[in-house]
Amino acid sequence: MPEKKERYQNRIELLQGTLDLLILQTLQWGPQHGYGISVAIRNRSGEILQVDTGSLYPALHRLEKQRWIKAEWKVSENKQRAKYYRLTAAGKKQLSRELSKWSQLSDAMAGVLNPDET
Amino acid sequence: MIFWRRKTHETELDEELRTHLSMAAQTRMERGVDPEEAERAARGEFGNVGLVKEATRDAWGGRWLGDLLDDTRYGLRMLGKNPGFTAVAMLTLALGIGSNTAVFSLIDALLLRSLAVPAPRELVHISFGPPGTKGPLSGPMFDRLRERQSAFTDLFAWKNGPMVLTEKDAARPITGAYATGSAFPTLKLKPRLGRLLNWQDDEPDASSNGIAAVISEAFWIEHFGGDPRVLGQPITVDGGTATIVGVMPRSFNGITVDYAPQVVLPFAFDVALRGKSSCRFRASCWFHAMGRLKPGLGFAQARANLSTIAGDVLKESLPSNYERVDYLRKGILSLTPGRTGNSPLGEVYGRELWTLQALVGLLMIICCANLASLELSRTLNRQHELVVRSALGAGRLRLVRQLVAESAILAFAGATAGIVLSQWMSALLVGYIEQSDFPVFLDLRPDTATLAATIALATLTVILTGALPALTLTRVHTEEMLRSGAQRTVARKRHPFAASLLPVQVALSLLLASLALLFAISTGKLLRMDPGFRVKGITLFGVDFERRPEKSEARLDLHRRMLEALRQAPGVEAASVIAARPLGDGGMDESAAPVEGNGPESRHLFENVVGPGYFQTAGTQVLAGREFSQFDRLGATPVCILNEAAASFFFPRQNALGKHVRSTEPNAARATCEVIAVVADAKYLSLREPAPPTIYYPYEQLPSFNWVGFITRSHDTSAAVAAFKNALSRLAPDTPLLPPITMQRQLEDSIGKERLTAALSLFFGGLALLLTSIGLYGLESQRVAQRTAEIGLRMALGAQGKDMLWFILREAGVVFAIGVPIGLALTFAASHFIGALLYEISPLDPRIHFVTVLILLGAGFLASFIPARRAMSVDPMVALRYE
Repeated sequence: MPEKKERYQNRIELLQGTLDLLILQTLQWGPQHGYGISVAIRNRSGEILQVDTGSLYPALHRLEKQRWIKAEWKVSENKQRAKYYRLTAAGKKQLSRELSKWSQLSDAMAGVLNPDET
Repeated sequence: MIFWRRKTHETELDEELRTHLSMAAQTRMERGVDPEEAERAARGEFGNVGLVKEATRDAWGGRWLGDLLDDTRYGLRMLGKNPGFTAVAMLTLALGIGSNTAVFSLIDALLLRSLAVPAPRELVHISFGPPGTKGPLSGPMFDRLRERQSAFTDLFAWKNGPMVLTEKDAARPITGAYATGSAFPTLKLKPRLGRLLNWQDDEPDASSNGIAAVISEAFWIEHFGGDPRVLGQPITVDGGTATIVGVMPRSFNGITVDYAPQVVLPFAFDVALRGKSSCRFRASCWFHAMGRLKPGLGFAQARANLSTIAGDVLKESLPSNYERVDYLRKGILSLTPGRTGNSPLGEVYGRELWTLQALVGLLMIICCANLASLELSRTLNRQHELVVRSALGAGRLRLVRQLVAESAILAFAGATAGIVLSQWMSALLVGYIEQSDFPVFLDLRPDTATLAATIALATLTVILTGALPALTLTRVHTEEMLRSGAQRTVARKRHPFAASLLPVQVALSLLLASLALLFAISTGKLLRMDPGFRVKGITLFGVDFERRPEKSEARLDLHRRMLEALRQAPGVEAASVIAARPLGDGGMDESAAPVEGNGPESRHLFENVVGPGYFQTAGTQVLAGREFSQFDRLGATPVCILNEAAASFFFPRQNALGKHVRSTEPNAARATCEVIAVVADAKYLSLREPAPPTIYYPYEQLPSFNWVGFITRSHDTSAAVAAFKNALSRLAPDTPLLPPITMQRQLEDSIGKERLTAALSLFFGGLALLLTSIGLYGLESQRVAQRTAEIGLRMALGAQGKDMLWFILREAGVVFAIGVPIGLALTFAASHFIGALLYEISPLDPRIHFVTVLILLGAGFLASFIPARRAMSVDPMVALRYE
């Protein structure tokens, strides 16, 4: 039990922030439920990013608490009641902030990793 | 997360995650996977649902509150499921915490609590007396000191004393105090109503009618119905009248912790009543004096200041004959911290109370050990539950917290019950301390210090009984345990923690039981000893003829008529007059020398002044000669009676009868007296000390001596009391009736602290024994239950019932083999401290320790015999079928 828990915690730490960005970005294309978000992230990343449910739902609820996304119960295309999350106005601002931060970070990373190209 | 909306969130989260799972399964099914396989894959991908929920709930925030509620709810349910455990645990805690709080609240009230005035740490007591004593100051001493001192913002004098309140011709005793005008300003006390006394109120030229008085809030409410119009009303006290100008705040009950004055008057009142003979001016009348240090001035500086002026102060204020009085000659002025006020009871009971506090502290350790053992064995049984919960995603911290929550509930409930119990117990304690002729006032309402102590105790209990076992137990290996399946296998491991607590309990119980037995036997000896006078049937009456018109000869005649009336009354067998009550608060000193022969020069004696027929009434044997008669009056030959100790000292190996004794006191009223009898030794001030050499004088030969009381012998106390009331109302109406006291009660009062220590230590010792027995019983029952299979197997292999009995008893034997020697060692170590508290018994008396060990072994045998019997009756077939 102890080792397992440690691994799980490590992953949360790794994805902190990044996962929020991914979720906000995904919701930009329209409201989506938890499962849909995890499928979307997996598909768009070419099956590379596997979102752990143990990180996804805490992140969703955290973002909801910060009022960047809003949840409502809707019926899905499969006639199933599901909790849909959508981006709020504050969430959109947050997304653009996160995006610019991310591009700065990736530029910086790139600069460090490939100094010749700059 | 808003707390009350949590439930909705919880169901929503459930549904959200369920939807996720079913969607994931559906996607797989659409790809052609069969439903069962799809669901399993979805679950596998999802991971531990419980953990996901936990993590998500974390994101809600405010989680601790919800968890706390969950833990509490769950804890309550678990405790409710096990009412036996809960009841025993609650009772243990209530008794442990209750005893501690009760004793501590008494210590707090008597010794620790600050006076309810601003900056009480600046207050100091100023005392006079031979080095090491803390006696009061005389009026002149106080005045000279006040003129010369420079270390204090001001000084004040205070004198507590009973007063008589007269209202519409009815007189009733009240508690009163005289204070100098500086008292309330120095104390910086704020009034509850009106104003308090100041210097103008204490001007000596004020007339008695215009004098101000303040009353206590309790008296204001009880006597005046809390009516604010009380201000300006006259109050007649001790024959003078004053005007009520204010009410003292409720928190202030004078400067003496066990005496709450209902009325405080300025000394000017006494001066107006008695003029020059007022206590205020006499060099032999004593007050309690206090002062407030100037801000920023240390205690040491004040002491230095005092030492520079002390010589002059004393020279100007001591009476001229001070050289001849030991007490005055050796007296010095000294300072002691005054934060807690004055506590005569605290000085008397301090050592006993701290001893009791140590005993209840030990008791608390036993309680905690017991609870920890109980909790531990209960948790052992719940190990399977813990394993399952941890497999379902509960973190270790969460498990510990759950277990701690249960102990916290218990501790909280136990502490509450304990506080309630302690109120009742403290009342009982005060009952032991209270002397019959002196009402003890003690403010025992739990204050911050008491509550803090109780909370600290409860917290300690939680840590000891909840957290430690929880930490040791939650270190579980989930998979291993789940695989083995049954709790039996797990519990078979001997738990060293539980095993190590019992010998400690045994050792402490042995200590407590030995101390209890020692105190009980010592007190029993005191109670049963022959004090040299009768105890049964004797009643003592105080009387206050101070305000009767009869003086000198007329006063004597009043006494004679009272005596006659008492002797004639039905049911009264004998009656006489007595000045110093045996075992009472005060004695009289005398120094005398024999006239005849060349015996010793002079020696200190105790003195008593009694009436005709005293020795017959009191039941003190007259060894030779005759006792005082009604003819031993003024004008007749001065006579006296010696007790054996005095006679053999003054006239060794001679017949003392007919010899003469000369008083060597300065300004003695009598010169020499003829010894007319030798009586048996009788205890004087204390039961513990041998009877001192005593001289008795007939009261009728001392005309200026007018503070005597009456003593009666009767079958029935109520007959004597009725006779006295009757005689008083007939011969001296409007004299307040002071509460009578039986000799039995007087004797019990005089050994109040011994009785207190004995009664409480017996109670605590018994409790310790009981708790340890319960602990042992619990542990052995547990062990038998855990080993049912093993016992069954052994019996199937041919072991007999008695082998099994031995098997269990041996285990208890080990506990005792470790605990008893430790306990004995502890007792021997403690004997050093308690020796001084005991009477005629050595704390090392082997008989005592033999008996306690026997009692302890007996209790231990009983406690383990019941589970052992259960082990004997294990049916091998049933037991083995479990495996």
